Amino acid sequence: MITLTHYLVLGAALFCVGLYGVMTRRNAIALLMSTELIFNAVNINMVAFSRFQEPGFAHGEMFAIFIIAVAAAESVLGLAIILAIYRSRQTVNSEEMKLMKW
Amino acid sequence: MQQFLFYTFAASILIAAVLTVTVKNVFHSALYLAFSLFGVAAVFALLGSYFLAGLQILLYVGAVVVLSIFVISMTKHITGAGAAGTGRRTLPALLTVLASGGLLTNAILRTDWGAPFAHSYGAGTDAAAIGSHILSDFVIPFEAVSVLLLAALIGAIAIIAKDEK
Amino acid sequence: MDKISLLAALIPALPFAAFLAVTAFARRRPMGAALTSIAGTAAAFALSCAVLYAELTAPAVHAVRAEWLQLAFVNLHMGVLVNQLTALMLFIVTFISLLVQVYSIGYMRGDSGFSKFFSFLSLFTFSMLGIVVADNLMQLYIFWELVGLSSYLLIGFWYDKPSAAAAAKKAFVVNRVGDFGFLLGILLLAYAAGTFDFSGVIAFVSSGAVPPARMTLIALLLFCGALGKSAQFPLHVWLPDAMEGPTPVSALIHAATMVAAGVFMVARLFAVFSASPEAMTVIAYIGGFTAVFAASIALVQDDIKRILAYSTLSQLGYMILALGAGGYTAGLFHLATHAFFKALLFLGAGSVIHAVHTNDIWQTGGLHKKMPVTSITMLIASLAISGIFPFSGFWSKDEIFSVLKAGGHTGLYLAAVAAAFMTAFYMFRLYFVTFAGAPGEKSEHAHESPAVMTVPLMVLAFFSVFSGLAALPHAHNIASFLYFGEPERAGLNTGIALTSSAVAVSGILLAWLVYSRKALSAASLKAAAGPLYSLLRNKYYVDEIYMFFIRNVFFVLTAAVKWFDRRAVDGLVMATGLGVRRGGDGLRRTVPGTVQSYALAVFGGMAVILLASAWFHPDLFGFGGLLK
Repeated sequence: MITLTHYLVLGAALFCVGLYGVMTRRNAIALLMSTELIFNAVNINMVAFSRFQEPGFAHGEMFAIFIIAVAAAESVLGLAIILAIYRSRQTVNSEEMKLMKW
Repeated sequence: MQQFLFYTFAASILIAAVLTVTVKNVFHSALYLAFSLFGVAAVFALLGSYFLAGLQILLYVGAVVVLSIFVISMTKHITGAGAAGTGRRTLPALLTVLASGGLLTNAILRTDWGAPFAHSYGAGTDAAAIGSHILSDFVIPFEAVSVLLLAALIGAIAIIAKDEK
Repeated sequence: MDKISLLAALIPALPFAAFLAVTAFARRRPMGAALTSIAGTAAAFALSCAVLYAELTAPAVHAVRAEWLQLAFVNLHMGVLVNQLTALMLFIVTFISLLVQVYSIGYMRGDSGFSKFFSFLSLFTFSMLGIVVADNLMQLYIFWELVGLSSYLLIGFWYDKPSAAAAAKKAFVVNRVGDFGFLLGILLLAYAAGTFDFSGVIAFVSSGAVPPARMTLIALLLFCGALGKSAQFPLHVWLPDAMEGPTPVSALIHAATMVAAGVFMVARLFAVFSASPEAMTVIAYIGGFTAVFAASIALVQDDIKRILAYSTLSQLGYMILALGAGGYTAGLFHLATHAFFKALLFLGAGSVIHAVHTNDIWQTGGLHKKMPVTSITMLIASLAISGIFPFSGFWSKDEIFSVLKAGGHTGLYLAAVAAAFMTAFYMFRLYFVTFAGAPGEKSEHAHESPAVMTVPLMVLAFFSVFSGLAALPHAHNIASFLYFGEPERAGLNTGIALTSSAVAVSGILLAWLVYSRKALSAASLKAAAGPLYSLLRNKYYVDEIYMFFIRNVFFVLTAAVKWFDRRAVDGLVMATGLGVRRGGDGLRRTVPGTVQSYALAVFGGMAVILLASAWFHPDLFGFGGLLK
């Protein structure tokens, strides 16, 4: 029997993998992709909660939909920024993106 | 059957995700990501949210990943050694992630979730329910998101646009 | 809430409204400014007359007050206290202020700061009336400082003239010295009494709960305020310099009203001062000394306004002397009569300056024919200040002499008589040199001032002649109106009247002999006086002595303080700042600057904190069973 706990542990595991990617990837695009993993971990939790805690309602799914929309906007802007940085500095290495450090 | 499907999907999601964050080649990384997101869509379907599963495939796999691949190919030396692979913080990151995961799992396992409703697979919410939600009690967030997307669109164009000088 | 106190509360408000209106709307409309200002003061004057009339017919104390601030140990009020003293002062201040403002229309005509001048005059009138109606020490102090401010603004009115700017600064700084003592006195008194209200303070002091030494200290500190405002020795140095201001200002502020604030304050708190006989003695001697000291300087000055300024010092000395000797009525009576004739003298001097464009009396002469109104009114004022029967000064000076004689202060009495002799001499020296004799080099184009200036002179001349009659032995005379404790019934003392008249007449005769008849040459007098002459001429070198101390003592001290502040205090602050900066600079280098490292720090830190919490409080995290 697959219970809520299974889905939540799956979400937690996916979240941790995404977090690892965010902390370690050098390529800024890969970094953004890692954040997508984190979003998906959250979405799994949302849908699972919706399904198990209040069946018949779709509130969790609604949240997931909005998260997907915001994530899309985020990735568009993130990629745009990366592209702009690439244009001016010829790099997508996140280690070199530290202009704000004095 | 459910257990088999769940574990299969979960395993493929996690393996693909781990590959996404570890392989050197960013292009491969994007492909693993797409695979992983497919798995998430399958989990949604398993949970009965077919509409969301479709949305996941269309938006994430269809749009976000493809966009990422575009950008990867537009930035030329992606496969070069400089920006590939993982950085120096591997060990501390691994420890942090394991600690976080342990804490999260501990919290999940020790929380009393009440008596979960036994849900019948296959009898999920249909798109009509979601649609009526969007146009009734979620209409204001919906409108706000549409404005947000428009702003993101314009913002992206403004950031990318070359200075015409 | 009675009508009289409400009227009295309205009196300061009217000039204040005029001040606001002029400042806000009439900067570019000179006549509008003048008329607004005069209308405000005229209305205040009308109300003051009503208050004075009410007090004359039915003397009573009217008070109204509202809570202002509640402090831990004392409550502050805003209030109005009207008694006979208030009524008289309200009348004098609004009356002189009104006449001076009318006069200023003529005197200040064409000045670029015409509107500003009137707004300042209104501000001054407001502040002075605020002092007069205040019902507690703190309110009095606030208006006291406001008066100081308006005085500063008006002395430095022609601020592009360096001497005027310096004089304004000097007045402000010298007053600060006095006001510092005043504030200490107020706080000491209010702390002991537990209230700032006059009635409460006076009741407290009369109860005799204060040890005599403490009482003397409080009285002397309070008197420091009067030293500054009423320009008594040794804080008198600012008043002669204040003559750099426009002459109407000198008349209003530095002769008739503001400098009377110190005298008024001593009178208002007379119960406090009289509780300490030692302080009263000190006050009397300071007053007496200032009277003689300033009169002797006035003997040899050349500047018409400076002569009058030293004369003011001397007359204020008389008032302080009278109060210090216990002559409450005498001091205030002299304040009233002096306000009239000194305002008249200054306005007359202003009229002369307006005509001849010089302050030096030796460059004028024979102005009587060209400026008859000014000359005659000046003569009246000179007779009044010299104390010639039946002019007002005669009556008020005699009151003071009687008080001194009755109190057995023989030394002070002789000093006062000597000062009276000198007063008569220097006033008529001024009069003969300016108006009589041959025309001076600048008298040629002199002409009488316009009516807007001469009418105030005539009104003041009327009061200079007749205001003394209030002292006639009569049921409603000044002594039964203004008194402390018991109404005084000291009638006219023939001996004293004859002495003072003889002294005044001989002073005038000497001046006539020297400066009009030229029977005695001024040069030979000068030679006879020798070093004394140069001593007087240089005002006893007081300014020089002060400067010497400021240079050699004060500046050395301030240099030491500056060194300590710069090196020790600032050094500590700088060291702290520098340390933080260096430390931050060092820490900065340890930060990689990439977003990812920050993410690691955030999540790693969170994990460490959670794990540590789980270690120390296992139950919170459900590890209780696990670790046991």
